[in-house]
Amino acid sequence: MRFLQRPNDPQQNHAGADNDSDSGERLQQIRAQSDSLLAAGDDAIQRALAGSNSEAFLRSTRQLGGQ
Amino acid sequence: MTKRTTSNASECVLPKLCGADIELGNFIAGIEQIGGTGFDASHALLAEIKGLPVRPGNYFDSYWSTASAIPKVEEDAHTESCGLKGNSIYNPQDVSRRFLAGNGGSAYIDLNHAELCLPEVVSAFDHLAAWHGMLRIAKTALDSANEDRPAGQKIHVLVNNTDGLGHSYGSHLNFLISRRTFDNILFRKAHYLQFLASFQVSSILLTGQGKVGSENGRPNTSYQISQRADFFETLQGVQTTYNRPLINARDETLCGQIGSDDPRAPARWHVIFFDSALAHGSCLFRVGPMQMVLTLLELGLVNPRLILDDPLLALQLFSHDPTLKARAALIGGQRTTALELQCAFLNEVKRHAAQGVFVGVVPRFEEIIALWENTLNLLVEKDLMALAPRLDWVLKLMAIERAMEQNPNLDWDSPETKVIDHLYSSLDADGLYRAYEASGFTEQLVTPERIAHFSRNPPSDTRAWTRAMLLRRAIDDRVEVNTVDWDRITFRIKGRHNWPSYRTLALADPLGFTQAHAESIFEDCTDFNDLLDGLESLPVGESLVNDAIAVN
Repeated sequence: MRFLQRPNDPQQNHAGADNDSDSGERLQQIRAQSDSLLAAGDDAIQRALAGSNSEAFLRSTRQLGGQ
Repeated sequence: MTKRTTSNASECVLPKLCGADIELGNFIAGIEQIGGTGFDASHALLAEIKGLPVRPGNYFDSYWSTASAIPKVEEDAHTESCGLKGNSIYNPQDVSRRFLAGNGGSAYIDLNHAELCLPEVVSAFDHLAAWHGMLRIAKTALDSANEDRPAGQKIHVLVNNTDGLGHSYGSHLNFLISRRTFDNILFRKAHYLQFLASFQVSSILLTGQGKVGSENGRPNTSYQISQRADFFETLQGVQTTYNRPLINARDETLCGQIGSDDPRAPARWHVIFFDSALAHGSCLFRVGPMQMVLTLLELGLVNPRLILDDPLLALQLFSHDPTLKARAALIGGQRTTALELQCAFLNEVKRHAAQGVFVGVVPRFEEIIALWENTLNLLVEKDLMALAPRLDWVLKLMAIERAMEQNPNLDWDSPETKVIDHLYSSLDADGLYRAYEASGFTEQLVTPERIAHFSRNPPSDTRAWTRAMLLRRAIDDRVEVNTVDWDRITFRIKGRHNWPSYRTLALADPLGFTQAHAESIFEDCTDFNDLLDGLESLPVGESLVNDAIAVN
């Protein structure tokens, strides 16, 4: 299930990016690389999934309500 | 800091100095205890953080802690030699507080959570750097604490706000505002309070960390934008751990006794609303836009058309709908999405920014507004790829969706999915955000060098600079630090014939005692008493008066 759709055209123009070109250009560069870079999290995800006992881990997270 | 002189101002605007704390999720995997392992985990972590005790004695520390929990800090020997033993009142929400001579912040234990308090900053960008600087301190403490753990046990530290079992813990912000504004929001002008609540509620689009599932009896949901949303149950109140209010009314100035009759008298606006953040954009958006909206309130520039009819209901609707389609009613009857409302607040801020109202009040406000606008445009476009490097809730959602694509057996109810949710914010090597950051995926709005700087050094433009430098000097000169608080430090100094005397330096002015104010005094005074004399000669409240901007 996907909550948010990916854009069909990753190069589409954005009003905000026009107005603040530095930020917009930076994000355009990031977007171009992002698919491959997202893979950088795959190892971390697989380590999380490989944990021997997820339910025991979730029980161990128990905290007090804090201030 | 731009300085404007005021005279007979009926209203004024104060630079929006900001403080913050990070309450960490801490526990030990590998052992199971009734009630959890937060007590042991938090004490083991705090034991690894250097600092000076704030109170004259650690009776309850000794009473409660194990030998491994005694701070292994260079100040310890100094502290012991100074005889810092005595009695104190045990407060489970403020255990073993110590102030850090490095950056002027503090660390303590609050209800079994290690809690880190940032030094006061003026710039939202400095807040971001100081926040991550504090997380570096926590990471170092975590690594050290884990070295001493038995095999099969591991301390985890999560930079989140809920354990997924119905317990929430905060990451609070504090902003400097005028006493008049404080009173207007809470006691005189109800629409001010509603305006601020409506802004906060819609801002979760920028600041939420994201969470799998719901808690606290809220309707089931697969994924929601905010970690904290489920726990807000009333509009305003002083409480922070139950029946949590959107607007917190705690009145704890931490600015000494600067004239309360003056409209420029400082007050401290305590915000318990926001999630902890890791993504730089989310972290910056917790502070920068709040600085500007509080400035609008200080100026009385409140547009009632932006007020939600029921901010608490709107928060649930907005948070539980990451498709951003949920609508909530405004008091005028129209129904708005969170994104539409944020765009309206941005336009309001831009309109007033063009009149110069943030000059000298919110550092780098133009950059913050540009980033805010760019982010809202990307949300309008639903450009997930562009937003993930900047916003936590989007990055976490993408990571979970990616995990589901690669592991078809996973669904939103799988315990493994909740594990990913938790490990997103882990400070250890298993942390997802850390992995994305290391890969260069996440957007960096401050440099690693700036973060490293704030892990070891105080901001130069607030009283935190003098606090840190005084603690350093006291260590070097072997002067006993009797008590420390945000607005004062008391020393026990040997006088004539070795009779001790106590001297308290008031640091009431949060915008005073900066490097520019005090550095020459530190350079000129080799004797500790002379140093305190010199610092005491700085006019109290001068910075507040000079930095306040008159409104005619």
